[in-house]
Amino acid sequence: MEFLLNSIRKIDNDQVKEHAFGTEQTLEERLAICFINPKDFEKLKLVSSQQLKISNKDKNVIVNVEKDDNIPEGMVVMPVSIWSNQLSVVQNNELLYKNIVVNVEATHDSITKFKEIMQETMVK
Amino acid sequence: MKRFTCSGCSLLCDDIIVQSDGLFISEVIGACLKGKERFDLVSAKNRITSPLIRKDGELKEVSWDEAIKKAIDIIKNSSVPLLYGFSNVSCEAQDVGIKLAQKIDGFIDSNASICQGKIFNKAKSLGINLTTITEIINKGDLIILWGANPAETVPRLLNKVLFSRGKFRMTGREIKTLVIVDPIKTASFRVMGVRDLPLIIEPNKDIDLIRMLKEECCTANSIPSQGVAGIDKNDLKRLLLHLTGAENGVIILGQGVIQPNPDYNLVEELLELLQLINERQEKGRISLLLMGGHFNMAGFDHVALSSFGVSGNLEFKHNQMMKTEDTLVSKIEKENFDSSIIVGTDPISHLPYSLSSKIAKKPLILIDNHNTATSHIADVVFPTAITGIESGGLAYRLDQVPIELNKIINPPNNLPSDEELLNQLFGLINQGGSE
Repeated sequence: MEFLLNSIRKIDNDQVKEHAFGTEQTLEERLAICFINPKDFEKLKLVSSQQLKISNKDKNVIVNVEKDDNIPEGMVVMPVSIWSNQLSVVQNNELLYKNIVVNVEATHDSITKFKEIMQETMVK
Repeated sequence: MKRFTCSGCSLLCDDIIVQSDGLFISEVIGACLKGKERFDLVSAKNRITSPLIRKDGELKEVSWDEAIKKAIDIIKNSSVPLLYGFSNVSCEAQDVGIKLAQKIDGFIDSNASICQGKIFNKAKSLGINLTTITEIINKGDLIILWGANPAETVPRLLNKVLFSRGKFRMTGREIKTLVIVDPIKTASFRVMGVRDLPLIIEPNKDIDLIRMLKEECCTANSIPSQGVAGIDKNDLKRLLLHLTGAENGVIILGQGVIQPNPDYNLVEELLELLQLINERQEKGRISLLLMGGHFNMAGFDHVALSSFGVSGNLEFKHNQMMKTEDTLVSKIEKENFDSSIIVGTDPISHLPYSLSSKIAKKPLILIDNHNTATSHIADVVFPTAITGIESGGLAYRLDQVPIELNKIINPPNNLPSDEELLNQLFGLINQGGSE
């Protein structure tokens, strides 16, 4: 299902805080996460044990998902983090962090781990 | 107990009470969650307190001499170094960073260039008024948050500008109207009262609203009966009344409005709207406030302007600044750099993968005080003192007002300040090598 991805700063899901004070586990709990409208939760036939796979044409991440009435239908919101930035893009020499067209599907696969992202990024 | 300025965010609150014996901080009073986290960084478990270099793929603790030698080797073997970050350090450190870039023929830019700096430059070229926090506190009667959520990014901003009582107007919150334009009902909506105007706009439709407002400001045509961008006609009328009737209005712009679009420039159109409103205004004016996050995001522009007359994208060849069409993004995208010096920021987390993976491929020197995704891939990591707690210096508040930050306690292991470390690297390069 097609959604618009928006990455925003959230005080309870703050990458600086998790890197400075947390563990890899808390980093993943707090930042490998997205928020969608409860109606979209139903449309996707999600159950609480499932995760969301969010993909653009080049990359995908699997993250935990929570319902949030404050998010409009058709939008998926992620806290700014290395997970959301697997999907943010460069457009005309500028950075696009909002309203990125993504495909979203429910999955039983586990979330994309921080180590996996780092290993992929670190290839020198 | 003594009063200090907090470096937790770009608001630089100067009313934080700190109890300290000069060695430890025992109590911090008046800080918000972000401010508290800043003070907690002093003893954060993932704080870096010794230099690290990568050996056999692993970061290992080493002596300062060894780390500096490695860093100098990287710099000397680099012909097009990239220097980036600098919004979480003092202006003095920014100044040394620019001098270092000049010395090593590098390209230097700050986080502001992908954030509020974009609006700053546009506002400067159009001659738009930027306002100050004090001005809003004392005189403001209309506050518009457009794509900005200060409740979660600059937590005490609304306390100061919305709930404060003005010196020159005898009323406070009761005459201040808050308007929020956002597609998401963010935490900032929670402070809205009955006279305020929440405008939930459809995603990517800001341009329709701006163009309608521009049209209305010029021709007073009727607003479409079906509303615009998902906003009801009556709410649009109220918005227009506020915009044209405010005596001292301010539009606070966040990241939401600086997103690129191939068909139009949203910031430019919004600033043109502001100009139109001010032309039409008979008794007041609307100004602008830029909402950056890092505590000295505004500083780099001022330092670069005062040194070289440009606010970002400084490129040096033969120790002279040259005109460049390149930006931070184009430099990285074209891989037109062969090493990077990252200062007080985490590009591996905050840049898109297509860019962060390119930074990760090249030798990287990091100057920062705690673990980040960037520290995981760095070749050399230099820890430094925390500015505003363990070292002092100048910073520019989000309204472009310079504020002095003071040292409260000594850093662990006598860590140098960012300025001292950058000065040391500059001095060694200037002498032609390491000690």
